[in-house]
Amino acid sequence: MDALLREYFPIIVLLALAIGLGLVLLLAAAVLAVRNPDPEKVSAYECGFNAFDDARMKFDVRFYLVSILFIIFDLEVAFLFPWAVAFGEISMTAFWSMIVFLGVLTVGFAYEWKKGALEWE
Amino acid sequence: MATIILLAPLIGALICGFGWRIIGERAGQIIATALVFLAAFLSWVIFLTFDGEMYRVVLLRWIESGSLGSEWAIRIDRLTAIMLVVVNSVSALVHLYSFGYMAHDDNWTEREHYRARFFAYLSFFTFAMLMLVTSDNLVQMFFGWEGVGVASYLLIGFYYKKPSANAAAIKAFVVNRVGDFGFALGIMALFFLTDSIRFDEVFAAAPALAETSIRFLWTDWNAANLIGVLLFIGAMGKSAQLGLHTWLPDAMEGPTPVSALIHAATMVTAGVFLVCRMSPVYEYAPSAMVMITVLGAATAFVAATIGLVQNDIKRVIAYSTMSQLGYMFVAAGVGVYSVAMFHLFTHAFFKAMLFLGAGSVIHATHHEQDMRNYGGLRKKIPYTFWAMMIGTLAITGVGIPLTHIGFAGFLSKDAVIESAFVGNQGAFWLLVVAAGMTSFYSWRLMFLTFYGSNRAGTVGHGHGHGHDDHHHEPHESPKVMLIPLGVLALGAMFSGMIWYSVFFGDEDKVRNWFGMDAAHHQAEEHAAAPVEGATAPAPSEGAVVSTEAAPVAGAATAVADVPAVATEEVATAEAAHTASVAPKGAIFIGPDNTVLHDAHYVPKWVKVSPFIAMVLGFALSWLFYIKNPSLPGRLAANQRPLYLFLLNKWYFDELYDWVFVRPAKWLGGFLWKRGDGAVIDGSINGVAMGLIPLLTRLAGRAQSGYVFHYAFAMVIGVVALITWLTLSGAQ
Amino acid sequence: MTAVDFNTILPEFLLAAFALGALMFGAYFGKDKTAATLVWATSGLFIALALFIGFGTEGERMAFGGLFTDDPFARFAKVIILVSAACVMVMAQDYMQRRDLLRFEFPILVTLAVIGMMVMVSAGDLMTLYMGLELQSLSLYVVAAMRRDSTKSSEAGLKYFVLGALSSGLFLYGASLAYGFAGTTQFAGILSTLGGDTPVGLTIGLVFMLAALAFKVSAAPFHMWTPDVYEGSPTPITAFFATAPKVAAMALIARLVHDAFGGIPGEWTQVLAALAVVSMFLGAIAAIGQRDIKRLMAYSSIAHMGYALVGLASGTAEGVQAMLIYMAIYVTMNVGTFAFILSMERDGRPITDIQSLNMFSKKEPLKALALLVLMFSLAGVPPMLGFFGKFYVLKAAVDAGMVWLAIAGAVASVIGAFYYLRIVFFIYFGKDGEPADSNMAPVQWLMMVGVAVIMVLGIVNLFGIEPVAALAAEALVR
Repeated sequence: MDALLREYFPIIVLLALAIGLGLVLLLAAAVLAVRNPDPEKVSAYECGFNAFDDARMKFDVRFYLVSILFIIFDLEVAFLFPWAVAFGEISMTAFWSMIVFLGVLTVGFAYEWKKGALEWE
Repeated sequence: MATIILLAPLIGALICGFGWRIIGERAGQIIATALVFLAAFLSWVIFLTFDGEMYRVVLLRWIESGSLGSEWAIRIDRLTAIMLVVVNSVSALVHLYSFGYMAHDDNWTEREHYRARFFAYLSFFTFAMLMLVTSDNLVQMFFGWEGVGVASYLLIGFYYKKPSANAAAIKAFVVNRVGDFGFALGIMALFFLTDSIRFDEVFAAAPALAETSIRFLWTDWNAANLIGVLLFIGAMGKSAQLGLHTWLPDAMEGPTPVSALIHAATMVTAGVFLVCRMSPVYEYAPSAMVMITVLGAATAFVAATIGLVQNDIKRVIAYSTMSQLGYMFVAAGVGVYSVAMFHLFTHAFFKAMLFLGAGSVIHATHHEQDMRNYGGLRKKIPYTFWAMMIGTLAITGVGIPLTHIGFAGFLSKDAVIESAFVGNQGAFWLLVVAAGMTSFYSWRLMFLTFYGSNRAGTVGHGHGHGHDDHHHEPHESPKVMLIPLGVLALGAMFSGMIWYSVFFGDEDKVRNWFGMDAAHHQAEEHAAAPVEGATAPAPSEGAVVSTEAAPVAGAATAVADVPAVATEEVATAEAAHTASVAPKGAIFIGPDNTVLHDAHYVPKWVKVSPFIAMVLGFALSWLFYIKNPSLPGRLAANQRPLYLFLLNKWYFDELYDWVFVRPAKWLGGFLWKRGDGAVIDGSINGVAMGLIPLLTRLAGRAQSGYVFHYAFAMVIGVVALITWLTLSGAQ
Repeated sequence: MTAVDFNTILPEFLLAAFALGALMFGAYFGKDKTAATLVWATSGLFIALALFIGFGTEGERMAFGGLFTDDPFARFAKVIILVSAACVMVMAQDYMQRRDLLRFEFPILVTLAVIGMMVMVSAGDLMTLYMGLELQSLSLYVVAAMRRDSTKSSEAGLKYFVLGALSSGLFLYGASLAYGFAGTTQFAGILSTLGGDTPVGLTIGLVFMLAALAFKVSAAPFHMWTPDVYEGSPTPITAFFATAPKVAAMALIARLVHDAFGGIPGEWTQVLAALAVVSMFLGAIAAIGQRDIKRLMAYSSIAHMGYALVGLASGTAEGVQAMLIYMAIYVTMNVGTFAFILSMERDGRPITDIQSLNMFSKKEPLKALALLVLMFSLAGVPPMLGFFGKFYVLKAAVDAGMVWLAIAGAVASVIGAFYYLRIVFFIYFGKDGEPADSNMAPVQWLMMVGVAVIMVLGIVNLFGIEPVAALAAEALVR
């Protein structure tokens, strides 16, 4: 038990140092710094501009659709790449497995095309 | 034939009880009565033709559970034959009598149908009683035992509109439960020890029981004694022996034919029958026998004292019944079972007749039961008077001393008293005194009822008879009521003389009659014991027949339980294992039991003593109620505490009320209000109407609809499970 | 891939091919007009496969090097899944058509979910298990939100998806812990590689996996999604949720604990027992406050899952058998009950308010009687089949020495009887009022009355399900 704890001792030291340093810096600023605010000081900085809208705005759901479709084909490539690199050594099972995978993907693609998921308007 | 006897009353009960709406009330009554008469006739056929050899009729298999096995079987031996005659004859006559007695009843309105119900109950009772006496094993007997209890309950409470009748019925039922509990314990103990409930196997194991001890309650007991005592507790309940007797006088709330049938002639004698039936066990249980003798004698004495001062005609006879039951138990207790059965047999006739006669008197005086309101009825109801006179002569034991000529009671009661002298001197004296008191109260009843002047209406009406304020002229009862009286009168006069020798008079005849082996141990005195007394039908195996044993005197004395001829069904593996068989015969008299023999050689003064007591009682009664009617009142005033003590029945009811009834009521009330009402109902209501809805609301609130709450719950669930598992797994 | 492997997964393969083909067929030929045809075709295929699986195969086979198992246990579960899914679909068809909900994707999604379930119950490896689980779950998320124009339905789908993702995360975490300690994901290898020593980490992994699966069977305290999803989804979808996926997930738990962790029952029986007790009581108590019959059925299924878990918690073959019998009876009862709920409507609009059943018996005595039988059966009133389900699981618990669990089950069933009987009360003795209409397609009527008759006649010998379930349990617990 002691050995185990001893292994973790440096971490505790590090943790204590980190917390201590953070506190020191924060408290030092609060205690030592001169505070004298005026409107110019607290207004937005030179090259920034005032926010004109809430950052949490609604996106059109079609963005998600496109991004999800992208992810699917992205993953497809992630599978295809190692498969293609090792193509010379793989068995027929591996070959047909990928063909089936591509087939399923194609069916899905055909479906979404037919359903109009790819049309923006 | 036995099957017909057994089932005829049941069929009658069913037809009459359930079918009267279809066939009419009167037809139902007639069918029930006819079937019982049929059974009675067949019973007499069996009784008169029976040769003493036990046989069984198996109706159907009943219980097969592990080693517990029993059948519905009819066991016909001498005991059964006697009981069949008693039960069916009295029952048939009571059925007939009830046609008249129950014709009109003020407890019911014109449109209410009660007669068919009454007859159905009577027939059902008869069936249950037959079941009891014909049983071949203890469980079947217990069935009959409880059946008669139910019938008794129904009939005592027949006037269910009367609170007192209901109370009496419940009292009878509850008091009998106490006895039945003992009986049931006895059966269980027997099964526990012998692994069987069949009579033959139990009897075969009886000698072994005497050697066994069993732990029960706080100490070790001799098994035979313990079983004997437990079974006797059952008998005490049914036969109203001292301690469990309080229900019997109250049972007189039932209609008078019921009192005659159930509470005089048949059911109450079931206890005596039980003791006689279990005689092979009791012969090995000397302490239990002493207890039976002492309690029987005490009952006979106490009941007689109470009977001296009662005013209700039925109660007087009820206490008389109780007293006579005590006689029977004394006889059984000293080991002369045949005499107990003899007294049972004769008593059934004259006591049934007394009750029916009392019923006739009550009928004649329009349901007046207080004897102080009778008087001078001799001329008005002459037939009833003569019947009652015969009954009184029989119960008081009138006969010619030192001969065998006399009324039934003379022979049987004297036999009991002579046996008691041999068996237990204390019991003998109690019985003699009781005999004197019997004579006194019986004659008191006669004098008050039939002699003197008519005192109708002079004494305030007692308990619950106040419906009849204006005076009616007494009238003789109808023929249907008088005929049974006549038949029973014959029995009361002659039954003693006819069957004296086979019950008591001649020991060898007794043994032959009950199907026992010849008296080996008596061989010294009776070297010429007839060989045919031991005739035994040799079964095919050619088992050892012990007839040779009779001349070979001394040797046989020690071995009364030599393998006598076994009836087939006894030769089961169980019996073979214990290497003994049931003794032959309906009753069993142990090798050391010489009471039956010795009772014939008691001094002359012993034989005369009951007669003297009877005459004294008669004389005193005559003095009190004919010669000087003011004497009883003065005596009662002089000896007021004694009088009240007797009038209140030795304060048994009050004592029980204090000791049992009130604490039980208090406990019941406590458990009802606090236990059931507050604790059980309260907690269930609290849970059902408080806790569960609260939890439901909490669960509903937890279901907030926010996904993060749900996810939080899942995480908490995982954390809780892991914490619990690691903590409990770390042990 | 050998021919043996292929033969073993033939039913799943056929279904997948069918799903793809149907998708193309639906998309290119007529869209939703083909939906009814597809529903019937799919149901027919389900039944045919159920017959094929039930009668066509025997023994035990492994495929793909132990990734996929085909044994009597899997077949028993698959038959129930296929038959119940087929029943629910044909029941739903009329309802959805009349309310213009019937999309041709519906049968296809159900088919995909069923494939997932079949893979789940046949899983011989944590990977296979997870694949089946996700295929099932993703399909279910979509069908839950099928009524896209309804806020409630969308909310239900989203909630289910988010929480389902959480549970998947829990499962993956547990699985990775197990893999980390055991060095393998194969059920057969997890314990054997450890050589009798059970590290705490493995136990924690097991608990995580069980928690995730408890979410799938909606056992408390992982049940919270159930009432909302049941209520929000269209009723046919709710009926589907309440039947096949429950069987699959329950069978999966049995598969996991017995195949992978059968050697250390002490580690999981108490977890399952705890889940069972909490589920039984929560299901019984929370349902009392419900006014909506679909929410009520949600709590009812929570409680029923508790009872099924009691069987599993006993950790014996008898317990597994009891669980299988219980699930078969449970699914049957729910098919019948939902056939009725589907038919409840007023002025053509579907309603699910319990109060609308007031004095329903006056209006439709036969259906009222059938509903009474169903409610009694759900409550576990003796002559009905539902009683025997409870009887088997409680007996299994008692035989395994967990008397306290059986007592808890009995107490909870008494509490639970209240709300079932309250429905009966409303039907027969409720306040006077205009009761709901019950507009039933013949097939719904057949399902409801048929199930009610089964509930009564099942007393004879449970239709011979007992030895089959015993065989299945024997195959799982060795």
